[in-house]
Amino acid sequence: MEIAPPLISQAAAPALIEVDGLTKLYGDFPAVTDLSFSVRAGEVIGLVGPNGAGKTTTLRCLAGVIPATRGSVRICGRDLASQPIEAKRRLAFFSDEPRLFDYLTVDQHLNFTARIYGVANYREIGRPLLEELEIADKTDKLPGELSRGMKQKLAIACGLLHSPEVIFFDEPLTGLDPIGIRRMKDSILKRGRAGAAILISSHLLHLLEEVCSHVLILKNGRKIIDGSLGEVRQRFSEQSGDTTFEEVFFRATGESKGAP
Amino acid sequence: MIAGALFYYQRHWWQNRLLTRVRRLRQPKYLFGAIVGGLYFYWYFFRTLGRGGRGVRISPEHQDLAQGIAALVLLVMVLLAWIVPHSRAALSFTEAEVAFLFPAPIGRKTLIHFKLLKSQTVILFSAIFMMLIGRSWGGGNPVIRALGWWVVFATLNLHSLGSSFARTKLMDRGLSNWLRRILVLGAVGVMAAGIILWLHYTVPPPPLLAGGTTDFIWLGRYANEILHSGPLPYVLFPFRLVVAPCFAANAGQLLIALGPALGVMGLLYWWVMRSNVAFEEASVELSRKTAERMAAIRSGNWQAARKPKKAGRSPFQLRPTGLPAVALFWKNLVSAGSLVTARAWVFLVWIVIFAGFLLQSQTRQAGGPGAALAFLALGLAGLSLFWGPQMLRNDLRQDLPAADVLKMFPMPGWQVVLGEVLAPAAILAAVQWLLLLVALILFPNRLGTHSTTLGGRISFALAAAIVLPCVDLIALLIPNAAVLFFPAWFQLGKEGPRGFETTGQQLILMFGQLLVLALSLAPAAAAFAVVFFLTSPLLPSALSVLLGGAVAAVLLLLEAGMGIRLLGGVFERFDLSGEVLAQG
Repeated sequence: MEIAPPLISQAAAPALIEVDGLTKLYGDFPAVTDLSFSVRAGEVIGLVGPNGAGKTTTLRCLAGVIPATRGSVRICGRDLASQPIEAKRRLAFFSDEPRLFDYLTVDQHLNFTARIYGVANYREIGRPLLEELEIADKTDKLPGELSRGMKQKLAIACGLLHSPEVIFFDEPLTGLDPIGIRRMKDSILKRGRAGAAILISSHLLHLLEEVCSHVLILKNGRKIIDGSLGEVRQRFSEQSGDTTFEEVFFRATGESKGAP
Repeated sequence: MIAGALFYYQRHWWQNRLLTRVRRLRQPKYLFGAIVGGLYFYWYFFRTLGRGGRGVRISPEHQDLAQGIAALVLLVMVLLAWIVPHSRAALSFTEAEVAFLFPAPIGRKTLIHFKLLKSQTVILFSAIFMMLIGRSWGGGNPVIRALGWWVVFATLNLHSLGSSFARTKLMDRGLSNWLRRILVLGAVGVMAAGIILWLHYTVPPPPLLAGGTTDFIWLGRYANEILHSGPLPYVLFPFRLVVAPCFAANAGQLLIALGPALGVMGLLYWWVMRSNVAFEEASVELSRKTAERMAAIRSGNWQAARKPKKAGRSPFQLRPTGLPAVALFWKNLVSAGSLVTARAWVFLVWIVIFAGFLLQSQTRQAGGPGAALAFLALGLAGLSLFWGPQMLRNDLRQDLPAADVLKMFPMPGWQVVLGEVLAPAAILAAVQWLLLLVALILFPNRLGTHSTTLGGRISFALAAAIVLPCVDLIALLIPNAAVLFFPAWFQLGKEGPRGFETTGQQLILMFGQLLVLALSLAPAAAAFAVVFFLTSPLLPSALSVLLGGAVAAVLLLLEAGMGIRLLGGVFERFDLSGEVLAQG
């Protein structure tokens, strides 16, 4: 698939996500240790690693859901610890399981989100979003009346309503049908091209290969490598230049590829 | 072989559950809870176990009447099982049991046996519980009482299963729910008409005393006559057999009563096992719904346990800009349902005013029904300060399992707390104002030798109307503070803790909350007293009350404001990774 160039030249683009020495301890257990990286406007970075690598913890720390034990996170130049409201106003986090309120309809969810983020023209923004996500005819439905995929679309509509500059996705393709998957990939690329900094955590390496410009590999809470897809591929390819990303992943994480 | 596997599963389910409970006692929060819970259960139930019961006992001459009434109650319960349900037969299994047992090479009858065996746990606990409760009025040997209750519950369980199978068969043969209900109600009606007619012609009614009443001795004799003559004894015969072990006075009587009761159970068992009804599909659906409901209940989200069937109307138009806390207030009002709309409250207020003035114009003397209603309304308004915050939980207690969503909102912690507590506070205040309105309209003109002026009543009502919402705010902040300070003591995760140690934890929390509420109200109460006593020599007492109320309300609002600020800070520092997420 051809990836259209970003609207902003990435070299000149400002870093919208800046992570410096992020450490998260659960009791004595280090879930993430001394993680540093940055994501510029227009970059789509894939966060990969085996189970227990600390991907979800990293995402939750970056989204302000849980506090970091040490280190700093800056979103669009705002420190998440000291300026949480300003930082959160600029980000959206989509967890693997859509988190909706059982008793609010699709329309009420948008109205509620608009008030939380102060989106005065939410009707003008929300309508095309619902149409793009193909749930415009479900505005009076409760989440209980929607399929898993539609719930996810509603969560996305709510998350994108305030036009976030930084977007975090945790396993964004879970529960989507093939058309939904296609649209989700297009949507991610579209936001990236529009200048958003996007971080995607997923086990689906082909998704990351398709939509990400950069990659960050974690193992046991520590960064193995980060960089553009080409740089990471080059670092872990042996002699041949056409190493698949799957092979890169196994080499980087030192995991065995063989079936059990 | 299959039965062995099912026994193995059931045995280890209990064993592991018990071990988990014992192991968690190493944590102080469970240990304290267990000690308090144990003391509570000992004090309430077991303290008098060896002393032959307490309270009012049923005398031997009333035993037979009580047995007849018990049989009648059982008959009603059995009839309800044929009238009320509307769905197909569904045996309740857990989601894991459905996943493992339904695709396994296990026959339908084995599944029914497994279900019957599993339900014995609940039946045994229920029987013991009823024995412990019933000792206050029944006394007698606890083993005999427990056995008696076991027979009743086990028989009802078998009947419930058999009737659900029979209803499903009838549905499969084209008999709709409504037709079945009409037929059953018709049969009940014919039977009742026959009994009433027979009574009318054969059993003379008890003599009426002056004022159209009759005394209890005559009423008892009349009821005994009805239960022992004519067609009713025949109708109640099988039900009397089932309840008879409950009323056995000794082991000999129990043995005699057990024979026929077990015979009835045997017949029901044969009926259940002979029914070959496909229950699997409905059971899968039921298990899913049960799992969702349990997860919601254990997470403290009672509202979600009742999944909304239709969208709630917005209580007011939520503008997209302004204080974000209002969004949470609006959301929680939507979650409270359609009763919270302004239209519903206006309607209620009109009803209260209309009915109140109608009643007031007829009876306004102390001791009349209007005055009784006024005192009842005042009592309920007072009690609502305690039960209101426990019942209305559409605040952080409802939303904390979704705290990760709340944490992402770009709003300061104090706004989250304010937005969360506003909805239950507003609902509670509206209920209290309605009760105050009832009391204001119906309050008697005279209380003993004192007359109550309209101005006095209005000033008291206004003072209460100002103070109560402020007290509500504080009363609601306390359980929300408990959630934030001691989240592990609240049942948040899908597999939240249960057992008597949890009861102990709830008791500790309840007493703690009451203590904090009392301490929080003390300054405002003192301020009210000071203002009232200082101003009453100078002003009419109605005005002093109003002034005292206003000062108390200001103090309470200040306290609530400080509480919201404090809890906001706690919410901002609240680390979900150590609490909710770890449990989820």
